[in-house]
Amino acid sequence: MDNCILQVDDLGVCFHTEEGRIQAVDGVSFALHEGETLGIVGESGSGKSVTSLALMGLVPSPPGQICAGRALYRGENLLAMPPKRFSEIRGNRIAMIFQDPMTSLNPYMTIADQLIEVTVVHLGHSHREALKHAIEMLERVGIPSPSRRIFAYPHEFSGGMRQRVMIAMALSCQPDILIADEPTTALDVTIEAQILELMKQLQQSQGTAIIMITHDMGVVANICHRVHVMYAGKIVEQAGCDALFANPRHPYTLGLLKSVPRLTQATSARLATIDGQPPDLAHLPIGCAFEPRCGYATPECRQQSPQLQDSEDADRFACFVDITKESPLKDPHV
Amino acid sequence: MSESLAGIAASPHPALLEVRNVAVHFPLQRRSFGSAAATIRAVDGLSFSLAEGETLGLVGESGCGKSTLARAILRLVPTSAGEIFYEGRRIDSLKASKMRPFRQQMQMIFQDPFASLNPRMTVSQIITEPMQIFRLHDRKDRQLEAMRLLELVGLNPRFLNRYPHEFSGGQRQRIGIARALAVKPRLIICDEPVSALDVSIQAQVINLLMDLQQQLGLAYLFIAHDLAVVRHIANRVGVMYLGRLVEEADAEMLYANPRHPYTRALLSSVPLPDPRSERHRQRIVLAGEVPSPDAIYPGCKFVDRCLMKAMDCQQQVPQLAGGDHRVACHFAWDEERYQASLAAANQKADIAHDPA
Ligand SMILES: Nc1ncnc2c1ncn2[C@@H]1O[C@H](COP(=O)(O)OP(=O)(O)OP(=O)(O)O)[C@@H](O)[C@H]1O
Ligand SMILES: Nc1ncnc2c1ncn2[C@@H]1O[C@H](COP(=O)(O)OP(=O)(O)OP(=O)(O)O)[C@@H](O)[C@H]1O
Ligand code: SF4
Ligand code: SF4
Ligand SMILES: [Mg+2]
Ligand SMILES: [Mg+2]
Repeated sequence: MDNCILQVDDLGVCFHTEEGRIQAVDGVSFALHEGETLGIVGESGSGKSVTSLALMGLVPSPPGQICAGRALYRGENLLAMPPKRFSEIRGNRIAMIFQDPMTSLNPYMTIADQLIEVTVVHLGHSHREALKHAIEMLERVGIPSPSRRIFAYPHEFSGGMRQRVMIAMALSCQPDILIADEPTTALDVTIEAQILELMKQLQQSQGTAIIMITHDMGVVANICHRVHVMYAGKIVEQAGCDALFANPRHPYTLGLLKSVPRLTQATSARLATIDGQPPDLAHLPIGCAFEPRCGYATPECRQQSPQLQDSEDADRFACFVDITKESPLKDPHV
Repeated sequence: MSESLAGIAASPHPALLEVRNVAVHFPLQRRSFGSAAATIRAVDGLSFSLAEGETLGLVGESGCGKSTLARAILRLVPTSAGEIFYEGRRIDSLKASKMRPFRQQMQMIFQDPFASLNPRMTVSQIITEPMQIFRLHDRKDRQLEAMRLLELVGLNPRFLNRYPHEFSGGQRQRIGIARALAVKPRLIICDEPVSALDVSIQAQVINLLMDLQQQLGLAYLFIAHDLAVVRHIANRVGVMYLGRLVEEADAEMLYANPRHPYTRALLSSVPLPDPRSERHRQRIVLAGEVPSPDAIYPGCKFVDRCLMKAMDCQQQVPQLAGGDHRVACHFAWDEERYQASLAAANQKADIAHDPA
């Protein structure tokens, strides 16, 4: 896994809103390797989708703006790429499964036409080849009777079926990088397992690198090699998958893992949560953004913002406190 | 509003919601040649009841008709057969104007937060609009109430004047929840209400829904794919397959002792939040093709994918039967048969798993 395919350095994305400038993504850096699956988890609104939109050149502007950083894909900076070159790469070499299928599928075109368009444009298929290929892809994502139902419109499909159409579309071109933003939220677990298997197969045969954005820690455990945890626009922890679950180092990560409902848990017990309000990006504190909710906070945390720092095993976290040694001053997770 | 519900001829203690043999069919448009018209049986004869203050969890394969059922209850799609009762009063055939008082009592949290919020309305307008329609609160109090609701769902009240596109997926979902709560309903149909949320906010929203239930006696029909979440919130759980209920039981009972082969496959596939056990687990893989909802099955609809099917299953529809624990399978209680079939299927499929 030494083949770095995407190198993101110090990515920053901001939005200009009525309340002022919002730094939605702040100083995000990471490397993505061929054949690797990188998980991104984190608070709702922490910048996961915006990070991936930036990599796809799809941040709405205005109000959005890429205000810092670069993202090198095979040596080319995606963030400064001419639109024409970008459109060659997008959907073809770098594909994305969007979080909201309904706004990314065209409601006035049949599923067939939308799927066909992708391979006609990017792979130069003939219409007939493209249709055959599209039906095959629908079959692989578990759409029943694909040869008949491909002529339906998106509103005639269920939520999960639309999501699978998006997946079929993204996988059609066998991309180098697949960015999957919550790809399985609308799927039942048997189909989810099938889709994750399909992604792993693609990865094995094509060396595809996958960025998997998800809230489902079970999906992370199933498919991810490494995981990034985001909070308020920043990566607060980077770790190998096993290490993150076994030994979380950032208080937010710890709170997140404690909130996961377990299949074995008795019914009607209260779930653990992280107390307090999510951060308001327009009014972030000077110090650590998690400080108002953190049980480990010290006075230092209010003065300075912690940076990602190396730990022994190259996993990194941004926190002043070693939570494996300290106990929380107040237990915030009750 | 309560006047319009009065004078209802009903049994002494009717369920809050009762669904009897409901079906919803859609015509399948075909653009290929030489094919006869067909029907998609999205919901195909389904019955359940829901008491005041109770939560019925509904799980099932993607495309099995959960959202369609929810929409049919709210009269957003017409039913093709069957009857729906709210507090003993039949509502599936009411005129729109007669339906109005029920509309306030039954709210829905939609699966797709992107499509269900009007992009041209501010958060404040989105949340206060239903209050206005049903004339709740004084005009000046509505804004305050909206702020209170935002706080309740974990959003900053300062967001009131923003538009939906300025929010992340999970934030939009919470706006939808605040809107549903705005008119103080008695029944909320939740279609995947928490799947777009991070686990900590998800936990907050689930706790919130459970608190509201205690305080206000709300009933929920709770549709979700996350079986751990469903176990947590639901008193009873129904499992759907191709438009029908195949199993229904008390939540504890269902998770401890699933009887339908589909339920068993489903539970065995839940991804576990632990990388080590996730690597070494064994799933029951469903055999066969995903059947089409327009296919006609004289017998059990699960037959093509069932590992313990018998000849009879093709011909005879298994009825949802049993007292507390209802199962629609001819061999629901034949554990020996199931274990033998599972062993045989495993041998045949040679499921790749690491026994370490
Ligand atoms: N068009 C926009 N205008 C203003 N703010 C925006 C816009 N798009 C996103 N934001 C803000 O940027 C932040 C990051 O949003 P993003 O969609 O990346 O969150 P996320 O991590 O994907 O969350 P979720 O898990 O809920 O999908 C949010 O606080 C959001 O309010
Ligand atoms: N307006 C419509 N026209 C035609 N077919 C429809 C329509 N709405 C739903 N269907 C079909 O009815 C079936 C059930 O859809 P429904 O949305 O109820 O599924 P679901 O159980 O909610 O699935 P998911 O878990 O993926 O959301 C699907 O096969 C779908 O394609
Ligand atoms: S830096 Fe301080 S406030 Fe921030 S997470 Fe660490 S202990 Fe908590
Ligand atoms: S009735 Fe027959 S086919 Fe249907 S689930 Fe039971 S054993 Fe399987
Ligand atoms: Mg997102
Ligand atoms: Mg649905």
